[in-house]
Amino acid sequence: MNASRDIAESARTPIGVRAAQSRLHLGWLSSSKGLGILFLLPAVVLVVLFFLMPVALTGVFAFTNMTTATGITGGAYQVSPGTLRVLTDRYGMGELAERLGQPTYVVDEQGLAALEEKGIDKNIIDSLRDGLLGKTYASRRELERDIRGLPDRPNTRTVKSISEEFSRSLANARFSSRESLIAAAEAIDPDLTDEEKEALAASTYTGWTWTTENFRRLASSPTTRQVLFNTLFFVAMTLVIFNTGYAMVLAIATHYIPDRPAGIFRIIWFLPRISPVVIYVLLWKWLAWDTGFLSAFLSNFGVRPRNWMLDTATNAWFFVIVINGFVGASMGMVIFASAIKAIPESLFHAASVDGAYRWQQIRHIILPQLKWPILFVTCYQTLSLLTSIDQTLLATNGGPGGATEVWSLWIYHTALNNYAGNLQYGMGAAMALVLVVIGIVLSLIYLRLFNYNALVAKPRIEL
Amino acid sequence: MRILLEHFSKSFGAVKVIEDMTLEIKDGEMLALLGPSGCGKSTTLFAICGIHRVTSGRILFGDRDVTNVPSQERNVGVVFQSYALYPHMTVADNIAFPLRIRKMPEAEVKRQVEEIAGLVHIEGLLGRRPAELSGGQQQRVALARALVRRPNVLLLDEPLANLDAKLRLEMRSEIRRIQLETGITAILVTHDQVEAMSMCDRIAIMNAGEIIQIATPQEMYRNPRTAFVAGFLGNPPIAFIEAEARDGSLAVKNADIRLPVPKNATVPPDGTPVIIGIRPESLGTEGDATIRGRVSFIETQGRENLYDITLENGSVLRSIQRVRDDIALDDVVEWKVRSDDIFLFAENGERL
Repeated sequence: MNASRDIAESARTPIGVRAAQSRLHLGWLSSSKGLGILFLLPAVVLVVLFFLMPVALTGVFAFTNMTTATGITGGAYQVSPGTLRVLTDRYGMGELAERLGQPTYVVDEQGLAALEEKGIDKNIIDSLRDGLLGKTYASRRELERDIRGLPDRPNTRTVKSISEEFSRSLANARFSSRESLIAAAEAIDPDLTDEEKEALAASTYTGWTWTTENFRRLASSPTTRQVLFNTLFFVAMTLVIFNTGYAMVLAIATHYIPDRPAGIFRIIWFLPRISPVVIYVLLWKWLAWDTGFLSAFLSNFGVRPRNWMLDTATNAWFFVIVINGFVGASMGMVIFASAIKAIPESLFHAASVDGAYRWQQIRHIILPQLKWPILFVTCYQTLSLLTSIDQTLLATNGGPGGATEVWSLWIYHTALNNYAGNLQYGMGAAMALVLVVIGIVLSLIYLRLFNYNALVAKPRIEL
Repeated sequence: MRILLEHFSKSFGAVKVIEDMTLEIKDGEMLALLGPSGCGKSTTLFAICGIHRVTSGRILFGDRDVTNVPSQERNVGVVFQSYALYPHMTVADNIAFPLRIRKMPEAEVKRQVEEIAGLVHIEGLLGRRPAELSGGQQQRVALARALVRRPNVLLLDEPLANLDAKLRLEMRSEIRRIQLETGITAILVTHDQVEAMSMCDRIAIMNAGEIIQIATPQEMYRNPRTAFVAGFLGNPPIAFIEAEARDGSLAVKNADIRLPVPKNATVPPDGTPVIIGIRPESLGTEGDATIRGRVSFIETQGRENLYDITLENGSVLRSIQRVRDDIALDDVVEWKVRSDDIFLFAENGERL
């Protein structure tokens, strides 16, 4: 017995030594710290990719003027009547704009080389070089008159074809780089200052650039104030009437009715939450359409059929709040109901014999003990309502006439789906950044006000 | 106030918990509803305070029929087993709750809260919350809240079950003192016979939804109506041995022991199987009959020792005596029984 154990132990020794060696190689793997990082890595990568990156990119895009027109890669330098106007209006370089916009004709070696290529008579080219090289004309007619005055007078068609090659106007020209733009401009006006070059490049660039213009526009736009008010109205009404108020009514009502009907009742109120959003909103639209249930029913009483949802701003708000509220009420209902269930039954018995009827029990026993659940639901739902978009988008799409346009919907309409077709990614990102900042500030206020640690630390209800 | 239950029945669905119970609690009396778990004593209490509706029968407070009066209007004070203090209110608010619900003027509320706080000795705790109180203090607050409305009847549902042994002793006498001082009619629900005997004027002992016997503690101890009652009262408990009536005396089964028939019992006909109940204090050094057995266990209780003696038929009797040095484990002893203190029961548990 002893002998065999000795053998076993001596046989195990080399393995132990080997294990010790391998531990040396991957030592960090056998510490909980090293392993922890290893196991966390996939999660960290996912968080960075799908959570931090979008937020960071939103922050980046917010400081650009990206749109469909600029694209998200670099652009070219396009001189157009529009850019010349920008040069005049924004940079006060009207004179330069006029000069660059004028058709200008310069007889230069470049033009002569082009003529040779075209197969123009060598004599004509030579006489052009001898007679006109270096001359500048403000109009084609003047140039053509001088060409006709040459010793070897070309026919009219050739004159046209020659003058074309000396056109050095910038108007409607497109350059792939800044250098070629400046070179072309200098050909017209060799005395360009650096400032003028800068302004020209900036005003003709078609790609995106860095800018804080988005925020300036947001701050000064009257639409901002309207949408902000809409958002506050929407969040406050939905939150107070449905997500906490109606949720509380449901929770208390189901507390006082027997278990089975209470369960069925709660499941019914869960339907809006668990049914697909599109179908849920379509049912509401069907209800409110001019050929839908409401109109059909009311037409019996001589009411003109109409689209009740989009008929007036008031109606639209009513439907938006109800549609969102019915979805949101279920969460509060579940949280409140379980909190009420956690109140010991003996407290209700005690309150009954103390003379408190149901309404007084609700006021003195249930509500004071639901302080924390109410605060939790309020915080959580404020933040989720601020960013909620799907029901409103499907129901009114911000209508009628922008009456129910809330902030998140406005972002969508600006950046991802607008009427003009020029999607303003940069502007949308700036709006989203504002929403993110509002959300973060609100969360911090909530966490501080309601002392999040106390909220999650231990149950408030003592048994 | 006199409380009367008349032919009271209560069932939950198909389960009959109480059937046709009639019980009177006299004005100013403290009555214990004593019984094992599930015997229906708490159900009875909840019916009196109106939390449970009765299935049939009547409940009278004085001459007033309150059978269909909601609990809010019965004016009963209840101390629940868990005390059921409102955790979000201070002690003062807890006690004031029944008064404020009745819309009593605030000055009067304050005066009465202070008065009752003085009665139960919690004047210094009025500003605290229930979570900041010890079990005994919570108990006093619950008592104050139950008493402050001057209830028709005070109902106590296992009030001492959640306290430790020492506090239990203290609160036992406290509750009795307060009940006597206020002169209130009180019902104590308990499964602890010591509580029932030490605190109450009378005990109603219950089993399986029925009241077996109602009597003063002394009377019930001395004169139990059934073997169940005898077994429930007394600590250490009574011991039972099977026997048979033979020639006007009692022959213990499978043992050479003969006991005379006690004076409190009628002599059963020969051959009747009977059950003899012997309390631990009836077996010892004095008496007119002898029992022989082997000491199988000695439990030291300090002032006294509890001896188990095993008879030759295997039955075990208990004897409580002052500490003796002359008895050791496995000694064979012959101890005396006072035959007039033993109880004789029929096979079905009825007293003979």
